[in-house]
Amino acid sequence: MCSGAASRRPGTTILWGKTNVTKRTFWGFTIPSVFVMVVLMVVPLVTTVWLSLNQLLLRDIKSPKFIGLDNYREVLEDPEFWAAVRFTLLFVAVTVPVQMVLGLAIALLLDKVGRGRSIYLAGLLLPFIVTPVVGTLIYKDLFDRGGLVAWLWEVVTDDPFVITATNVKWLIIIQSIWHVMPFAMITFFAGLQSLPAERVEAAQIDGANFLRNLWHVILPHLRVLILFVALISIMDAYRVYDSVFVFAGDRFTEAHTLQVYTVEVAVDPQIGRVGKGNAIGVLNVLGIFVVLIPFLVVSYKDQIKERT
Amino acid sequence: MKKPSFLNRLGVHGTLSLLVIWSIVPFVWTFQSSIKFTRDVAAKTPVLWGYETTSSAYNSFWLDDDEINMWNVLLYILAFAAVATVVAMIGRRVERSWPFFVASAGVIALGLWRFPKIWEVEDEYDFLINSIIVTVLTMLISLSIGLLAGYGLARYSGISGAIILVVALGFRALPRSAFVLPYFFGANRIDDWLEDSGVGTFDFPGIDFPFIDELTVLDTRLAIVLALVAVNQPFTIWMFRSFFMEVPREIEEAAMMDGASRLQAFRKVIIPIMWPAIIATGLFTLLLAYNEYLFVRILAPTNWTLPVAIVSLTGGESSRTITEAAAASVSITLPIVIVIVLFQKHLVKGLGAGAVKG
Repeated sequence: MCSGAASRRPGTTILWGKTNVTKRTFWGFTIPSVFVMVVLMVVPLVTTVWLSLNQLLLRDIKSPKFIGLDNYREVLEDPEFWAAVRFTLLFVAVTVPVQMVLGLAIALLLDKVGRGRSIYLAGLLLPFIVTPVVGTLIYKDLFDRGGLVAWLWEVVTDDPFVITATNVKWLIIIQSIWHVMPFAMITFFAGLQSLPAERVEAAQIDGANFLRNLWHVILPHLRVLILFVALISIMDAYRVYDSVFVFAGDRFTEAHTLQVYTVEVAVDPQIGRVGKGNAIGVLNVLGIFVVLIPFLVVSYKDQIKERT
Repeated sequence: MKKPSFLNRLGVHGTLSLLVIWSIVPFVWTFQSSIKFTRDVAAKTPVLWGYETTSSAYNSFWLDDDEINMWNVLLYILAFAAVATVVAMIGRRVERSWPFFVASAGVIALGLWRFPKIWEVEDEYDFLINSIIVTVLTMLISLSIGLLAGYGLARYSGISGAIILVVALGFRALPRSAFVLPYFFGANRIDDWLEDSGVGTFDFPGIDFPFIDELTVLDTRLAIVLALVAVNQPFTIWMFRSFFMEVPREIEEAAMMDGASRLQAFRKVIIPIMWPAIIATGLFTLLLAYNEYLFVRILAPTNWTLPVAIVSLTGGESSRTITEAAAASVSITLPIVIVIVLFQKHLVKGLGAGAVKG
């Protein structure tokens, strides 16, 4: 890739490789989007880092006071922060694998169905498209007093079902799987559509059973998609906010994920501490980048390879 | 391929049916609650069928008068929807169809505008209008600049293109909480400046701008739209780029050979074959904007959209009943279900196509 980079002279309008637009045209097309991303993403990120070094209260948001790394020290000594870290890790570690395995299984089932496929698809997609806060509210309704699941629980076990600090975490996790699983399902399903039927048939004629077929034909075909879904799911599980905020609210602060904790620290009307919130925000960004950097490096190398 | 046995088929359909039930039980339950009387909702043993139905929950969530016959309201909505659909259907059969689509949008706008003049509405109606405006504006801005950038990135192979794409991928991963606090701070700063410098309250002599008394950023739809456009950009340019990669370069090269400029070729030749991609990306943008909660809650503390409204009005110590909360949930979900049912094919295709390259 070095040779490719060296042979290019900046500012020339010669078409090289697969390019068929000049540098000028490229920037002409791209500049509005890049401008938006610089002003509304790069600048805010820099602002976050700067604000995290300041003491800044919500009710006095006009006067930040520089205090160095004190915010970070305070965050790292805060047990609530570590509780949020633990729950976020649990959340990611459970929801991502479960939704992927479930999604793949359902995609394989759908692939076998001829008639009625679109009806199944519509039903299964519904939780994915519903507004997350509404999806959480209606799911929570089932477990609240007078709800369907709470009633069934009482019929079976004779004890009333109560949402407690311990089971609320698992309810949030189950709700989240219900909400995001269709994404994995539909992506794998789309991938299965592009698998040539002859390859599966050829394997079957050779006497391969379903499991061997899955392992040697289907999974290799879906390899790229599996990585893609894994990446997106990890990012989205780490970023989860809406459903946790609605489900846990102020009542179960133990079940706050990092994002909820960050925002709650900053926007509490009485003691909202924007500086500390920004410090947690910076830590959030660093946290996801630890996971992300290998993917970004691979993606960058792909891009370079595509270009030379 | 040999036909699967009956038992095999039964197993597949049975499992899928169970999974569909798992998916839609909360929706069915909520829909039932929204049309029940309060006594049936509060019953110790759930009343699953044979209950009396009522539209009073919808009435009291949206309207300021309990005596209104909701059939009239439903008829009004259906009439405008039918006219808009017919106009749009005609448009699909005509060569230059965009005037028909504009007319169809106009019919919908007229219906929404007339509605509060006929019936007294609650504040929720304003939040519905906010939701629609925010969603439409976000889609327009996000898709138009994303389309341009996606095309540029698909056709140029300089190193800067690679850097933009990888940085955008990184941004796609960042949590909202890292952006919402600086947005809030920045909006505060801009509002201060607008007030102190007098720009926000400046009146051009002789011109009276309608709707605008004072220019501010915080607590406006503009703030929400800008924030949503920004966080949606990385996804949009990746999606469009992967669609453009599949359009052969020869198509626009042929057009340019015939004397069209790059921009003309883009507009006249590329855009028309990109409609499926635009619709697919547009659907995801629509979902993002219509469903947004955090940005609206922080950046528009009173100028809500529907998701924030429903959480604030139904949660906690609010006196709203379960039936009203259910009616609100159904009302906010229905429009999006209709849109997705109409465009389900595009959504599935978009997930597939965007995914393969992403």
